[in-house]
Amino acid sequence: MHLWMLLMFLGWCFTEMEAGPGAAMSTQTNGDRFKIEGRAIVPGVKTQDWVSTARVLVDGEEHVGFLRTDGSFAVNDVPSGSYVVEVVTPTYRFDPVRVDITSKGKMRYARLVNYIKTSEVIRQPYPLQIRSSGPHSYFMKRETWGWTDFLMNPMVMMMVLPLLIIVLLPKVVNTNDPEMRKEMEQSMNMLNPNPELPDVSELMTKLFSGSKGSSKAGSSSKGTRPAAKRR
Amino acid sequence: MAKLILLWLKCVILYNAVGAVFEDQVGKFDWRQQYVGKVRFSHFDTHVQSSKKVLVATENNVFAALNTRTGELFWRHVDKSGPEGNIDALLHHGQDAILVVGNGRLLRSWDVNVGGLNWEIVLDSGSFQKACLVGQQGTVKNVAVLKKNIISLHYLSNGHQKWIENLPESETVDYQTVYSGGNGEVYALGIVPHSHVVIIAYSTDDGEIIKQISVEAPWLSNIVASCAVIGQGVLICVDSATPSLYMCDLHLDTHDLQMTQIPLQSLGLEVAPDFQPVLVSHQPNSAHQPLSEFFLQLGPDNFLLLQLNNGQIVTLRDFKPALLVSFATTGEKTIAAVMSPKNKTACSINLFSAETGRRLLDTTLIFVMDPNGGKPEKIYIQPFLKKDDSVGYRAMVQTEDHTLTFIQQPGRVMWTREEALSDVVTMEMVDLPLTGTQAELEGEFGKKADGLMSMVFKRLSSQLILLQAWIAHLWKLFYDARKPRSQVKNEVTIENLSRDEFNLQKMMVMVTASGKVHSFRLFFFFQLFGIDSKTGSILWRHYLEDVPSNAAFKLMVQRTTAHFPHPPQCTLLIKDQDTGLTTLHVFNPIFGKKSHVNPPALPQPILQSFLLPLMDQDYAKVLLLVDDQYKVSAFPSTKNVLQQLQEMASSIFFYLVDSSQGRLSGYRLRTDLSTEQIWEVVIPMEIQRIVSVKGKRPNEHVHSQGRVMGDRSVLYKYLNPNLLAVVTESTDTHQERSFVGIILIDGVTGRIIHEAVQRKARGPVHVVHSENWVVYEYWSTKSRRNEFSVIELYEGMELYNSTVFSSLDRPHAPQVLQQSYIFPSAISTMEATLTEKGITSRHLLIGLPSGGILSLPKMFLDPRRPEIVSEQSREENLIPYAPELMIRTEWFINYNQSISRVRGIHTSPSGLESTCLVVAYGLDIYQTRVYPSKQFDVLKDDYDYMLISSVLLALFFATMISKRLAEVKLLNRAWR
Repeated sequence: MHLWMLLMFLGWCFTEMEAGPGAAMSTQTNGDRFKIEGRAIVPGVKTQDWVSTARVLVDGEEHVGFLRTDGSFAVNDVPSGSYVVEVVTPTYRFDPVRVDITSKGKMRYARLVNYIKTSEVIRQPYPLQIRSSGPHSYFMKRETWGWTDFLMNPMVMMMVLPLLIIVLLPKVVNTNDPEMRKEMEQSMNMLNPNPELPDVSELMTKLFSGSKGSSKAGSSSKGTRPAAKRR
Repeated sequence: MAKLILLWLKCVILYNAVGAVFEDQVGKFDWRQQYVGKVRFSHFDTHVQSSKKVLVATENNVFAALNTRTGELFWRHVDKSGPEGNIDALLHHGQDAILVVGNGRLLRSWDVNVGGLNWEIVLDSGSFQKACLVGQQGTVKNVAVLKKNIISLHYLSNGHQKWIENLPESETVDYQTVYSGGNGEVYALGIVPHSHVVIIAYSTDDGEIIKQISVEAPWLSNIVASCAVIGQGVLICVDSATPSLYMCDLHLDTHDLQMTQIPLQSLGLEVAPDFQPVLVSHQPNSAHQPLSEFFLQLGPDNFLLLQLNNGQIVTLRDFKPALLVSFATTGEKTIAAVMSPKNKTACSINLFSAETGRRLLDTTLIFVMDPNGGKPEKIYIQPFLKKDDSVGYRAMVQTEDHTLTFIQQPGRVMWTREEALSDVVTMEMVDLPLTGTQAELEGEFGKKADGLMSMVFKRLSSQLILLQAWIAHLWKLFYDARKPRSQVKNEVTIENLSRDEFNLQKMMVMVTASGKVHSFRLFFFFQLFGIDSKTGSILWRHYLEDVPSNAAFKLMVQRTTAHFPHPPQCTLLIKDQDTGLTTLHVFNPIFGKKSHVNPPALPQPILQSFLLPLMDQDYAKVLLLVDDQYKVSAFPSTKNVLQQLQEMASSIFFYLVDSSQGRLSGYRLRTDLSTEQIWEVVIPMEIQRIVSVKGKRPNEHVHSQGRVMGDRSVLYKYLNPNLLAVVTESTDTHQERSFVGIILIDGVTGRIIHEAVQRKARGPVHVVHSENWVVYEYWSTKSRRNEFSVIELYEGMELYNSTVFSSLDRPHAPQVLQQSYIFPSAISTMEATLTEKGITSRHLLIGLPSGGILSLPKMFLDPRRPEIVSEQSREENLIPYAPELMIRTEWFINYNQSISRVRGIHTSPSGLESTCLVVAYGLDIYQTRVYPSKQFDVLKDDYDYMLISSVLLALFFATMISKRLAEVKLLNRAWR
């Protein structure tokens, strides 16, 4: 249970915490229309290489701004309100920032976008910048095929190992030697499962097939099959 | 604990396994075409001799740089649509492009090389009139912006305002244009119509008024339309009434300035009747004065090249017939290009020296016009100096159908751009026809059995045909292999179009509607395009004029290609939204030809139109049209159809929506093709208005009748094909009181199945209605976020009548489940995937403003997602409820090929159950395939043939060897 919680928590962290800093605001006003200013940065990439594909979207396409050649931007003519500002490029990922402009245009601040608890405010330090959190990942990785994958496949392991034992063991061990045979018998007895102890495979069967499957948990060989299928 | 891990694994798998593109699939079955829209301003980038850029600013508020070699985009900036992003002016200087945007609201400077913004400033309010570059002592440093009541000068380097001045008497004087000849003065020209012209000269340095003159001109009403500045600052105007030219020198400093009249007759010229003459002047460099040569258009096909020489007007050359003229400058040379008609399908462009009017040798260029296209509208000339100092050029021709064609001497088309495709209004995908052999093979299964022997023969003959086709295919492969690669052409033409194995290649029929200005009147026209879905190449086009300005279009496929020898048939319904008058255009969707079937004339306004599943004897589906007298007419209306209609009349129902009255009403057809009203629902107009009414798609199939629950019982879906989802929005837009409502109505009985209201929400609402669910998206004003809501309808654990669904006999109300989610982005449009049999799970395709198309599994929008995970919900594979839906870039079906301003997404089933064809259109067009449940019915394209064959071979050899070994062993044993 604890592990589950931990995983959940980590998951949220990855989705929420990546949000970097936000946008800076200016105090220039223009009638009852205001200006959202900021700067977008892609670390390690020249601005000339990406600004031509970038746009600044405020609340969808409600207001549109463009990036200057140095990566800074200004979205003009925005009335007071609360907006989600986003820098959009097909190549790099920027996290959205919420910007609030009061009716007087004075109290403006940026914070991380939190859609679930909209009242929760995590302010961004001022003045600040939107930093790209890396390139977008659009593609899934193909499952590549390698010899190791093939050999480490449980089905193959199950087939190959007994084969090796059957073929090689008689050659290595001289079965005609009576002493050896005795020794082997002894060791076989050692290996034999204690009837009191639960079988590992049986335990797995119970786990994977739920409550119904538990009643008819069969022998060990039967029990492993559903587990293998699940994968 | 272990169970939880398992659940988590499941979730991870679910999150990962749905819809994604692999990197090696890029461009394999998808394509994108980027457009800019109808070009309004265009400049060739000339500051570097070898520059390959042409700058275009368009009516779709797009500013872009095109590659003159290929026609592709270097970069493109898409501004807000609507008047706020409207581009008013484009000025070009060096590597800067100055744009005036939003009726003079913003002044922007772009770096042409990088495609980034240099600066952007907000201008003072006021209606924009004109902008021009202002030069001084040979260099251009400023830009002047003239508005209704102010003139301002800005620095080109940073946009800062140098000075701003109020225009005197701006209430009475209509200031229309601004001019600068590079001598330290900026002239604002205004007019009091039919009285006098006001000329004000400002000093470039400080905005001081140097002089202010008014000149009597009682005959003049508009400076922009009939005046130009030429030579050393001479204002020249043309008056069609007298008809004569008027001149006055702006530099003269006398207060009793007069306009000198030069009657056109004295020059031996005549104006074509009912024609407003036009002047075309040219200023090669803003820091210098304009040319003293200019064009005067006297008729639709008559141009004159005139020259002002020592106060005298001299005719240099008369061009008749001539369609278009243009000036262009390269280096020190200025040339005049004239396009004149050659014959019906071709025009020729010739260059003339602007100073003398002499024709330049070897400058003829032939432009072949598309007979299905429009006439040339504008030409842009890109001249360049050859090594021997003669002038060569390329020309960009813009035609009335918004096509851009770039031609090189002597007439080689380098590229064309069909900019009309940026205004797609509706589209349809049509199956390609079968080839002769395919049709014959299909025929074998279609016909009824007639005896064993003939069946056997038929079987054999079809096998023979297949063999023949295969041999022919092999032969072609062999033949092609011997030829050099360059000669093997795989071009798609209409002739070799045929359906592929899995019906993945289809014909996209797209309807575009756009306006054009022709002799100062706004016309509308629409074009039909037939596009091959595999390559995106345009196979046919049809250009139709005279469409009402606010027409609504509906495209219907009446007959598919499945009924050989009858040709497929599509009908485009064009309805004037003001009057309701409707015309039909019937055509063949594969070849684009107008059908010989004559559509009926429809004198009455049409309220509703729909296709019936009935077919006439020629396999064309019947289109019913309901006019404002509630009379029904059918198309085609043969005897056969009318008879069928009479038989079926009692079971034909339809509904009408009157959103202006808030009324929904249902009607039934009588046998005499009149109608009777059977129900009516009135939605009070004072409170809410109907925004949209969505039915289900007629070609949708639902495979499974129910869902298997965790306890092995079945929850049956409520699959009412007549269900309508009516979306309403409150008329009160205050954010505390606004709401969005959704009403589910049975279209036959008028019974309200369900009603839901989302408080503190407003539109725009996007709805998808399919199977037993409705998904809609709205803006929550309270939480300031976009939210999705899903409604699912279930019959319950038992099905009332499992064989057929009848709206009239369904006593039990369905169970309604609803759940809402937060969506972290605004959306542009939404559609659901569609497959042939409906076995594949459904995805929602969501067009985002960022340009991505998100493929969101319907699984995430399931009202049965539990808040607390139970054994049963796990058994059902339900994902635990989470309030926020995620946008993962891996789910973007168009990866980095973002699509601007997505207006619609069209989904169409293919022959493969796993595959759905998707076309997204807006400013761009993007076509791809999606596999909502992965490719379960074909081998994956990364299928490892090498592995499987090597394993088989290895096994084969292993058996051979072990057989041999066994034999040896046996032999040895026998010897022992």
